[in-house]
Amino acid sequence: MNVIENLRMALGSLMAHKMRSILTMLGIIIGVGAVIIVVAIGQGGEAMLKEQFSGAGNTVELLFQPPEEEMEANPNLLSQAPFKQEDIRALEGIQGVKKVVATSSEFSSARFREKTVDASVTGMNNGYLEVNGLKVKKGRNFSSSDFLSGRRVGLISHSAKEELFEGRSPVGEIIRIANQPVEVIGVLEKPSGLFAFGSVEVYLPSQTWRSVYGKSEYSQVALQADSADELKAVGEEAAKLLNNMHGTKESYQVINIEEITEGIGQVTRIMTMIIGSIAGISLFVGGIGVMNIMLVSVTERTREIGIRMALGATRGQVMTQFLIESITLTLVGGIIGIFSGWGIASLVSAFAGWPSLVSWQVVVGGLLFSMIIGIIFGLLPANKASKLDPIDSLRYE
Amino acid sequence: MIELESVSKTYTVGKENVHVLNDVSLTISQGEFVAIMGPSGSGKSTLMNIVGCLDKPSAGSYFLGGENVSGYKDAELARVRNQSIGFVFQQFHLLPRLSALKNVELPMIYAGIKKEERMERARKALEKVALADRMDHLPNALSGGQKQRVAIARAIVNSPKLILADEPTGALDTKTSTSIMELFRELNEEGTTLIVVTHEPEVAEYAERTILVRDGVVLHGDARARREKL
Ligand SMILES: Nc1ncnc2c1ncn2[C@@H]1O[C@H](COP(=O)(O)OP(=O)(O)O)[C@@H](O)[C@H]1O
Ligand SMILES: [Mg+2]
Repeated sequence: MNVIENLRMALGSLMAHKMRSILTMLGIIIGVGAVIIVVAIGQGGEAMLKEQFSGAGNTVELLFQPPEEEMEANPNLLSQAPFKQEDIRALEGIQGVKKVVATSSEFSSARFREKTVDASVTGMNNGYLEVNGLKVKKGRNFSSSDFLSGRRVGLISHSAKEELFEGRSPVGEIIRIANQPVEVIGVLEKPSGLFAFGSVEVYLPSQTWRSVYGKSEYSQVALQADSADELKAVGEEAAKLLNNMHGTKESYQVINIEEITEGIGQVTRIMTMIIGSIAGISLFVGGIGVMNIMLVSVTERTREIGIRMALGATRGQVMTQFLIESITLTLVGGIIGIFSGWGIASLVSAFAGWPSLVSWQVVVGGLLFSMIIGIIFGLLPANKASKLDPIDSLRYE
Repeated sequence: MIELESVSKTYTVGKENVHVLNDVSLTISQGEFVAIMGPSGSGKSTLMNIVGCLDKPSAGSYFLGGENVSGYKDAELARVRNQSIGFVFQQFHLLPRLSALKNVELPMIYAGIKKEERMERARKALEKVALADRMDHLPNALSGGQKQRVAIARAIVNSPKLILADEPTGALDTKTSTSIMELFRELNEEGTTLIVVTHEPEVAEYAERTILVRDGVVLHGDARARREKL
């Protein structure tokens, strides 16, 4: 007798007691549903935070932060430019480095005609936009000749466009950054996500930035590695190189963004574990409910079992029948739980603006788990059914 | 085809041993139609259960079709019941939630027969018992006689060599009983060995010989009794 036959019989007998079946499933539905909700919201949040903290690429940020002793030994340290042009070139030479994103920023005024706003003005090299996941929405991106020649061109953020141009098209207009004229060649896409603030920003090619502010150093440097695995090694190598070049020991350090997001992941994982174990308890209680109902069902159907045995069912087949019945019960409960959990998670994320993520692994895991509950808690009743004596069972009223 | 040699059946109730069958020897040949009669509690059903491989003798041996089934394991006995024996009970023993057709399908499910063939054979069996127009009815929607016909269709659907009927007409009126017994006669004429337990002499009339059971002892258990009767 095959599984499909058993499944048909199982569904038939569950349908015969619809109310009872649904009430029994409730524990499983709530348990599986809760797991799905928690995991979906947890994973969605984790994915979102990771994306926001690490941008698109595998990047590490290099930091110039001289420790106390080094500052005492060399008081000039802080007045020096932390990252120079030759530092950048040296970093580009490191094995495993894909891109060096060097930026300098200043906070200064940006003016268009009579309108003035405070803007964060960032000078950057080729690759910054891509590594940070920024896209040009209107106009054009910088060309390589813009970077090389230091033309007076710039990109502005969506908020900068809103504040300065108030609906007019900014492309081709001249704005004044720290009183120096810069042509706007494009507007960046509005950032998305819960924690993305639409700040007023202007981006210039490094050369241009330097001529605008009359400074020649970078304030921030980030490295993008060829692969995530190399990220740590590459970052440490870069810090060592910079410390060597500047005659310092630990002034140059690495911030691994992955580590920060890992920390965030840790928090969401702990949350998931706590609520997951509550869900686990409700699944256990649900499983006991299934076992209880299956025991009742075996007793009620003693005569049926006797008849089936008289017609040639082996003990194994009777056992399989009841086992499949309890698995069907928990599996159907699991499926309903997955869908309702999914629905509730989507609702929550729609209202809270927090994304939810139901991965196929979670769905498959939920299905497998509810089946395992069916097996574990169905074993005892099924075994009881298979041990019945056919003659006593036939006589059972 | 059936040979019981000094079969005994003893139940232990509390500390006492109840001897339900005492040293029963019985031979029934292929194609025979045998009635078993005897007072209530004399051990008829117990005998039928042993012959039907639902129960094992406490002592003695049982040969069915030349094989010593008294030594068989549970799974082997299940197979014998499925393939070689058809049961008909006084209380019909249909599954109440399954249609007539589905009830008749059951033994074939355990025989591992494919769906299409099962449907076809179940239909044929129901046609044979004149219930072609009641196939999709649930047992509750059928009369007693119709229920027993479904049970007979279910008993014959795997083409067993032996049909055991324990008081098959006990819950039916005389007219219905007659039609059920006619059906049995028909099956017997087609070559099926039939053993019917009954209290009614009219029913026993259909059989070629009658075996008497009294206090766990079988009288006229051998083929000689048949010759005497003829
Ligand atoms: N499982 C059992 N335990 C104890 N006694 C039993 C059991 N089954 C049957 N008996 C006893 O065996 C005797 C014969 O029963 P049965 O074969 O059903 O008789 P019949 O069918 O002839 O009326 C009865 O006295 C009955 O009480
Ligand atoms: Mg009886």
